[in-house]
Amino acid sequence: MIQELANAGALPVLEKSLRFAAARQRILVHNIANSDTPDYRPLELSVDGFQSELRRAIAARDREGSEGRGAGPDRALEFQRTRELDVLEDGSITARPRTPSGNILYHDRNNRDTERMMQDLAENNLAYRTTVELMRRENDTLRIAITQRP
Amino acid sequence: MYGSLDISTSGMIAQRDRMTAISANIANRNSVMPDGTPYRARRVHFAPGDPTATSKQARQWGVHVSQVEIDQSPLNMRHDPSSPFAMRSGLHQGYVLESNVNPVVEQVNAIQAARAYEANAVAAESSKQMAAQALRLLVG
Repeated sequence: MIQELANAGALPVLEKSLRFAAARQRILVHNIANSDTPDYRPLELSVDGFQSELRRAIAARDREGSEGRGAGPDRALEFQRTRELDVLEDGSITARPRTPSGNILYHDRNNRDTERMMQDLAENNLAYRTTVELMRRENDTLRIAITQRP
Repeated sequence: MYGSLDISTSGMIAQRDRMTAISANIANRNSVMPDGTPYRARRVHFAPGDPTATSKQARQWGVHVSQVEIDQSPLNMRHDPSSPFAMRSGLHQGYVLESNVNPVVEQVNAIQAARAYEANAVAAESSKQMAAQALRLLVG
Protein backbone atom coordinates (compact mmCIF):
# COMPACT_ATOMS: atom_id res chain seq x y z
CA MET A 1 0.00 0.00 0.00
CA ILE A 2 2.83 2.36 0.90
CA GLN A 3 4.44 1.44 -2.43
CA GLU A 4 1.33 2.64 -4.27
CA LEU A 5 1.28 5.87 -2.28
CA ALA A 6 4.84 6.67 -3.29
CA ASN A 7 4.45 5.64 -6.95
CA ALA A 8 1.15 7.32 -7.70
CA GLY A 9 -0.22 10.78 -8.31
CA ALA A 10 2.10 13.76 -8.26
CA LEU A 11 5.12 12.21 -6.51
CA PRO A 12 6.65 10.53 -9.60
CA VAL A 13 6.24 13.80 -11.51
CA LEU A 14 8.00 15.71 -8.74
CA GLU A 15 10.72 13.07 -8.56
CA LYS A 16 11.41 13.40 -12.30
CA SER A 17 11.47 17.20 -12.04
CA LEU A 18 13.94 16.95 -9.17
CA ARG A 19 16.23 14.62 -11.09
CA PHE A 20 16.07 16.89 -14.12
CA ALA A 21 16.93 19.98 -12.06
CA ALA A 22 19.89 18.13 -10.53
CA ALA A 23 21.11 17.06 -13.99
CA ARG A 24 20.71 20.60 -15.30
CA GLN A 25 22.53 22.04 -12.30
CA ARG A 26 25.56 19.94 -13.18
CA ILE A 27 25.56 21.37 -16.71
CA LEU A 28 25.09 25.00 -15.60
CA VAL A 29 27.86 24.67 -13.04
CA HIS A 30 30.10 23.09 -15.71
CA ASN A 31 29.49 26.11 -17.95
CA ILE A 32 30.46 28.50 -15.14
CA ALA A 33 33.61 26.50 -14.37
CA ASN A 34 34.57 26.72 -18.05
CA SER A 35 33.82 30.42 -18.49
CA ASP A 36 37.54 31.07 -19.19
CA THR A 37 38.29 27.97 -21.25
CA PRO A 38 39.37 28.67 -24.83
CA ASP A 39 37.25 27.03 -27.57
CA TYR A 40 34.58 26.00 -25.05
CA ARG A 41 30.92 26.37 -26.07
CA PRO A 42 28.41 26.38 -23.19
CA LEU A 43 26.13 23.33 -22.95
CA GLU A 44 22.40 23.55 -22.47
CA LEU A 45 19.61 21.21 -21.40
CA SER A 46 16.26 22.47 -22.65
CA VAL A 47 13.67 22.93 -19.90
CA ASP A 48 10.94 23.07 -22.56
CA GLY A 49 12.09 19.73 -23.97
CA PHE A 50 11.88 18.08 -20.56
CA GLN A 51 8.52 19.63 -19.72
CA SER A 52 6.93 18.61 -23.01
CA GLU A 53 8.15 15.02 -22.48
CA LEU A 54 6.83 15.15 -18.91
CA ARG A 55 3.50 16.45 -20.20
CA ARG A 56 3.35 13.63 -22.74
CA ALA A 57 4.19 11.00 -20.12
CA ILE A 58 1.47 12.28 -17.75
CA ALA A 59 -1.10 12.40 -20.56
CA ALA A 60 -0.18 8.85 -21.64
CA ARG A 61 -0.52 7.62 -18.04
CA ASP A 62 -3.94 9.25 -17.63
CA ARG A 63 -5.12 7.98 -21.02
CA GLU A 64 -4.13 4.39 -20.27
CA GLY A 65 -5.96 4.71 -16.97
CA SER A 66 -9.16 5.87 -18.62
CA GLU A 67 -8.92 3.02 -21.14
CA GLY A 68 -8.94 0.57 -18.27
CA ARG A 69 -5.32 -0.53 -18.64
CA GLY A 70 -3.72 -0.01 -15.26
CA ALA A 71 -5.24 2.33 -12.75
CA GLY A 72 -4.74 5.75 -14.31
CA PRO A 73 -2.83 8.13 -12.08
CA ASP A 74 -1.74 5.18 -9.94
CA ARG A 75 0.65 3.89 -12.60
CA ALA A 76 4.27 4.85 -12.82
CA LEU A 77 5.36 7.48 -15.33
CA GLU A 78 6.99 6.12 -18.47
CA PHE A 79 9.45 8.40 -20.18
CA GLN A 80 10.56 7.96 -23.74
CA ARG A 81 14.10 8.55 -24.85
CA THR A 82 14.32 12.04 -26.35
CA ARG A 83 17.12 13.83 -28.14
CA GLU A 84 18.48 15.18 -24.86
CA LEU A 85 17.26 12.92 -22.10
CA ASP A 86 17.59 9.22 -21.37
CA VAL A 87 15.53 7.93 -18.46
CA LEU A 88 17.07 4.70 -17.20
CA GLU A 89 15.37 1.70 -15.60
CA ASP A 90 15.96 2.98 -12.06
CA GLY A 91 14.48 6.39 -12.94
CA SER A 92 17.78 8.25 -13.13
CA ILE A 93 18.26 10.71 -15.96
CA THR A 94 21.19 10.74 -18.36
CA ALA A 95 21.53 13.99 -20.25
CA ARG A 96 22.99 14.60 -23.68
CA PRO A 97 23.28 18.38 -23.64
CA ARG A 98 23.32 20.49 -26.79
CA THR A 99 25.64 23.37 -27.58
CA PRO A 100 23.40 26.16 -28.82
CA SER A 101 25.35 28.78 -30.73
CA GLY A 102 24.04 31.98 -29.22
CA ASN A 103 25.93 35.13 -28.29
CA ILE A 104 29.12 36.43 -29.87
CA LEU A 105 32.45 34.62 -29.80
CA TYR A 106 35.12 36.21 -27.65
CA HIS A 107 38.76 36.28 -28.67
CA ASP A 108 39.36 32.94 -27.00
CA ARG A 109 36.57 31.44 -29.20
CA ASN A 110 34.30 30.98 -26.17
CA ASN A 111 30.78 32.41 -26.42
CA ARG A 112 30.09 32.66 -22.69
CA ASP A 113 27.23 34.82 -21.44
CA THR A 114 27.82 35.35 -17.72
CA GLU A 115 24.51 37.08 -16.98
CA ARG A 116 22.53 34.34 -18.72
CA MET A 117 24.51 31.64 -16.89
CA MET A 118 23.84 33.18 -13.49
CA GLN A 119 20.16 33.70 -14.33
CA ASP A 120 19.79 30.06 -15.37
CA LEU A 121 21.53 29.01 -12.17
CA ALA A 122 19.14 31.07 -10.02
CA GLU A 123 16.10 29.80 -11.93
CA ASN A 124 17.21 26.20 -11.64
CA ASN A 125 17.80 26.66 -7.92
CA LEU A 126 14.26 28.05 -7.53
CA ALA A 127 12.76 25.22 -9.59
CA TYR A 128 14.53 22.67 -7.40
CA ARG A 129 13.43 24.42 -4.22
CA THR A 130 9.82 24.61 -5.42
CA THR A 131 9.80 20.92 -6.27
CA VAL A 132 11.24 19.97 -2.87
CA GLU A 133 8.65 22.17 -1.16
CA LEU A 134 5.82 20.52 -3.11
CA MET A 135 7.20 17.10 -2.15
CA ARG A 136 7.23 18.15 1.49
CA ARG A 137 3.59 19.23 1.26
CA GLU A 138 2.71 15.87 -0.33
CA ASN A 139 4.48 14.04 2.49
CA ASP A 140 2.76 16.24 5.10
CA THR A 141 -0.64 15.36 3.61
CA LEU A 142 0.22 11.68 3.81
CA ARG A 143 1.38 12.06 7.39
CA ILE A 144 -1.87 13.80 8.34
CA ALA A 145 -3.82 10.97 6.75
CA ILE A 146 -1.78 8.37 8.65
CA THR A 147 -1.81 10.03 12.05
CA GLN A 148 -5.36 11.34 11.53
CA ARG A 149 -4.53 14.74 12.97
CA PRO A 150 -3.13 17.85 11.36
CA MET B 1 24.44 17.18 -6.35
CA TYR B 2 27.88 16.21 -5.10
CA GLY B 3 28.95 16.11 -8.73
CA SER B 4 27.97 19.78 -9.10
CA LEU B 5 30.07 20.70 -6.06
CA ASP B 6 33.06 18.86 -7.51
CA ILE B 7 32.69 20.79 -10.78
CA SER B 8 32.58 24.16 -9.00
CA THR B 9 35.57 23.17 -6.89
CA SER B 10 37.56 22.26 -10.02
CA GLY B 11 36.70 25.71 -11.40
CA MET B 12 37.88 27.41 -8.20
CA ILE B 13 41.13 25.41 -8.18
CA ALA B 14 41.81 26.32 -11.83
CA GLN B 15 41.18 30.01 -11.19
CA ARG B 16 43.40 29.92 -8.11
CA ASP B 17 46.21 28.37 -10.16
CA ARG B 18 45.77 31.15 -12.69
CA MET B 19 45.91 33.73 -9.90
CA THR B 20 49.14 32.11 -8.65
CA ALA B 21 50.69 32.54 -12.10
CA ILE B 22 49.56 36.18 -12.25
CA SER B 23 51.06 36.87 -8.79
CA ALA B 24 54.30 35.21 -9.89
CA ASN B 25 54.37 37.36 -13.03
CA ILE B 26 53.95 40.59 -11.07
CA ALA B 27 56.44 39.54 -8.37
CA ASN B 28 59.06 38.55 -10.95
CA ARG B 29 58.73 41.58 -13.12
CA ASN B 30 62.34 42.59 -12.44
CA SER B 31 63.78 39.09 -12.02
CA VAL B 32 66.61 37.60 -14.02
CA MET B 33 66.65 33.85 -14.56
CA PRO B 34 69.76 31.82 -13.46
CA ASP B 35 70.96 31.73 -17.10
CA GLY B 36 71.00 35.55 -17.25
CA THR B 37 67.87 35.97 -19.41
CA PRO B 38 65.00 38.05 -18.07
CA TYR B 39 61.89 36.41 -16.62
CA ARG B 40 59.16 35.69 -19.17
CA ALA B 41 55.47 35.92 -18.24
CA ARG B 42 53.61 32.68 -17.53
CA ARG B 43 50.20 32.14 -19.14
CA VAL B 44 47.80 29.55 -17.73
CA HIS B 45 45.52 27.73 -20.21
CA PHE B 46 42.36 25.88 -19.28
CA ALA B 47 40.64 22.90 -20.87
CA PRO B 48 37.30 21.27 -20.05
CA GLY B 49 37.22 18.05 -18.03
CA ASP B 50 38.93 17.06 -14.79
CA PRO B 51 41.60 14.34 -15.19
CA THR B 52 42.02 14.07 -11.40
CA ALA B 53 38.44 12.85 -10.90
CA THR B 54 38.13 9.26 -9.72
CA SER B 55 35.35 8.02 -12.03
CA LYS B 56 35.24 8.01 -15.81
CA GLN B 57 31.84 9.72 -15.65
CA ALA B 58 33.21 12.57 -13.54
CA ARG B 59 36.29 13.14 -15.70
CA GLN B 60 34.25 14.76 -18.48
CA TRP B 61 32.96 17.49 -16.15
CA GLY B 62 34.72 20.48 -14.65
CA VAL B 63 37.82 22.32 -15.78
CA HIS B 64 41.57 21.89 -15.36
CA VAL B 65 44.80 23.70 -16.21
CA SER B 66 45.95 22.10 -19.46
CA GLN B 67 49.28 23.89 -19.71
CA VAL B 68 51.33 26.76 -18.37
CA GLU B 69 52.80 28.52 -21.37
CA ILE B 70 55.88 30.73 -21.22
CA ASP B 71 55.06 33.94 -23.06
CA GLN B 72 57.41 34.24 -26.09
CA SER B 73 56.41 37.80 -26.97
CA PRO B 74 59.33 40.31 -27.33
CA LEU B 75 61.09 41.41 -24.15
CA ASN B 76 61.06 45.02 -23.01
CA MET B 77 64.20 47.13 -23.26
CA ARG B 78 65.44 49.78 -20.86
CA HIS B 79 68.37 52.15 -21.45
CA ASP B 80 70.86 51.59 -18.61
CA PRO B 81 74.49 51.50 -19.84
CA SER B 82 75.85 51.12 -16.29
CA SER B 83 74.08 47.79 -15.72
CA PRO B 84 76.22 44.64 -15.89
CA PHE B 85 73.49 43.13 -18.11
CA ALA B 86 73.62 46.00 -20.65
CA MET B 87 74.35 45.04 -24.24
CA ARG B 88 77.95 45.89 -25.13
CA SER B 89 77.56 46.21 -28.90
CA GLY B 90 75.05 46.23 -31.74
CA LEU B 91 71.96 48.22 -32.49
CA HIS B 92 70.73 48.19 -28.87
CA GLN B 93 74.03 49.04 -27.23
CA GLY B 94 73.52 50.22 -23.65
CA TYR B 95 70.07 48.69 -23.36
CA VAL B 96 69.08 46.07 -20.79
CA LEU B 97 66.56 43.38 -21.67
CA GLU B 98 63.70 43.25 -19.19
CA SER B 99 60.86 40.80 -18.61
CA ASN B 100 57.81 41.00 -20.89
CA VAL B 101 55.39 41.20 -17.96
CA ASN B 102 52.87 43.96 -18.58
CA PRO B 103 51.47 45.04 -15.19
CA VAL B 104 48.27 46.40 -16.74
CA VAL B 105 47.53 43.10 -18.50
CA GLU B 106 48.30 41.20 -15.30
CA GLN B 107 45.95 43.42 -13.27
CA VAL B 108 43.14 42.92 -15.77
CA ASN B 109 43.73 39.15 -15.76
CA ALA B 110 43.76 39.18 -11.96
CA ILE B 111 40.36 40.90 -11.87
CA GLN B 112 38.97 38.42 -14.38
CA ALA B 113 40.31 35.45 -12.38
CA ALA B 114 38.88 36.86 -9.16
CA ARG B 115 35.44 37.34 -10.74
CA ALA B 116 35.48 33.86 -12.27
CA TYR B 117 36.46 32.44 -8.87
CA GLU B 118 33.53 34.33 -7.34
CA ALA B 119 31.12 32.96 -9.97
CA ASN B 120 32.26 29.42 -9.15
CA ALA B 121 31.84 30.10 -5.43
CA VAL B 122 28.28 31.34 -6.07
CA ALA B 123 27.55 28.23 -8.15
CA ALA B 124 28.90 26.01 -5.35
CA GLU B 125 26.72 27.87 -2.86
CA SER B 126 23.70 27.28 -5.09
CA SER B 127 24.42 23.53 -5.33
CA LYS B 128 24.93 23.41 -1.57
CA GLN B 129 21.57 25.10 -0.98
CA MET B 130 19.87 22.59 -3.25
CA ALA B 131 21.44 19.66 -1.38
CA ALA B 132 20.33 21.21 1.92
CA GLN B 133 16.80 21.61 0.55
CA ALA B 134 16.70 17.95 -0.45
CA LEU B 135 17.88 16.97 3.03
CA ARG B 136 14.93 18.87 4.51
CA LEU B 137 12.69 16.17 3.01
CA LEU B 138 14.00 13.83 5.69
CA VAL B 139 13.15 16.23 8.53
CA GLY B 140 9.55 15.82 9.67
